[in-house]
Amino acid sequence: MMEETKNLDLDRSIKKEAPQLAALLKEMKGVLDTVTSKVQALTAKVKANDFPTAGGISYLEAKHLLLLNYCQSLVYYSLRKAKGLSIEKHPVVQSLIEIRLFLEKIRPIDQKMEYQVQKLTRDIGRAAEQLNLKEKESEATEKSEDLLKYHPNPEMLVSRSDMMAEDGNAVYRPPKIAPTLMEEDKMSKQERNALRREKETQRRAKEGYMKDLIDDLEGRPEEVRENVGNESREFIRYQQQWEERAQREEELFTRAPVTKMEKKKEKHLKKSRDGLLALTDGFFDEIKTLPLEGDTGDQTKNFNNGSSATGRLKKRKRRY
Amino acid sequence: MADKAVTIRTRKFMTNRLLSRKQFIVDVLHPGRPNVSKVELKEKLASLYEVKDPNTIFVFKFRTHFGGGKSTGFGLIYDSVENAKKYEPKYRLIRNGLDTNVEKSRKQLKERKNRAKKVRGVKKVRSLVSFVMVS
Repeated sequence: MMEETKNLDLDRSIKKEAPQLAALLKEMKGVLDTVTSKVQALTAKVKANDFPTAGGISYLEAKHLLLLNYCQSLVYYSLRKAKGLSIEKHPVVQSLIEIRLFLEKIRPIDQKMEYQVQKLTRDIGRAAEQLNLKEKESEATEKSEDLLKYHPNPEMLVSRSDMMAEDGNAVYRPPKIAPTLMEEDKMSKQERNALRREKETQRRAKEGYMKDLIDDLEGRPEEVRENVGNESREFIRYQQQWEERAQREEELFTRAPVTKMEKKKEKHLKKSRDGLLALTDGFFDEIKTLPLEGDTGDQTKNFNNGSSATGRLKKRKRRY
Repeated sequence: MADKAVTIRTRKFMTNRLLSRKQFIVDVLHPGRPNVSKVELKEKLASLYEVKDPNTIFVFKFRTHFGGGKSTGFGLIYDSVENAKKYEPKYRLIRNGLDTNVEKSRKQLKERKNRAKKVRGVKKVRSLVSFVMVS
């Protein structure tokens, strides 16, 4: 019973894959035909001595031989598989692996040789032309550019002044000296500030003085949060940083040294102020929107908490 | 000091076979007390882990949490004192009493170095030897 079901499954899968197989085989045959025709053309040309192939780069010769060998082993391998013969512990497999390994290993050499190979092919082409034409100027050119020398060519350098486009329509194009990254989604300062202001208003609507007002107007019940007075924003942030740091230290079983700035901050926060640190926390947020005298547009005064830990040392100023 | 309760807990216990030791994080709860001394901690750990030789226990890098009452640090228990002497850094061995600190006179070292600056090459060794005997 089991065998019958297995056979049925096999038949079904074969029927499904048979048309695919047929298509694949046709494709292969077509490709092989083109390859054979091309190879025959090439061999005919070589026999007619159109391409002098003696004295080439020996590295490339070796690479060709390796690739040929690999192809042959592949063909033999697929032949054995197609005939249903086992490939276990057959030397073909080992040779395949070996050749593959060699090919992978010489890949970096390939990259390094690229410049030389390119130069050679270019120059040989040019030299062949010169031979055919037999120019009288060839003597002069030989002295100025020895084709087989691989030294840097200062005449090929493009000067900076050349790079400026000679545009008579007075469109200034800056000279491209250093490579820069063009950010597509870069917002201007105004846009960024506007975004920040929006985020601020949204945040204020969720917590703080504005929230109470809005709740009152809309008739929502009053919300009371416990223990906000004791722990200022500064302190909470400090605690979070320390916890994260402690976690990492425990993971790595080492201690990170405490910098001077951190020590100063710690000292500042440990000064006992009887829990009054949080009193002036949201003060600035509340008075920011009020129209004070002597205010100019975007720049409002920075009413920071009396003496924060990094008051003097903070670089970024809130000016939005 | 009145014997206020000191609780010791260990976390992230790991047996390090490569360095033949057990390493863990020590959490000490000592409410109402300043920091607990390392000697006391070693005794408690010895009783906790049934270690025969408290010389193989090393505790270090203790830090007290904000507000006091809790400190966290690292602890190691070696398989034997020889292993400890092999793997531990010198300063910790000195703290545990397994090694002595050689008091090197800073001034003498500097003088020696400056004398060596005047001589080049192999002659340095000979000159240093002679000077050591003199000074």
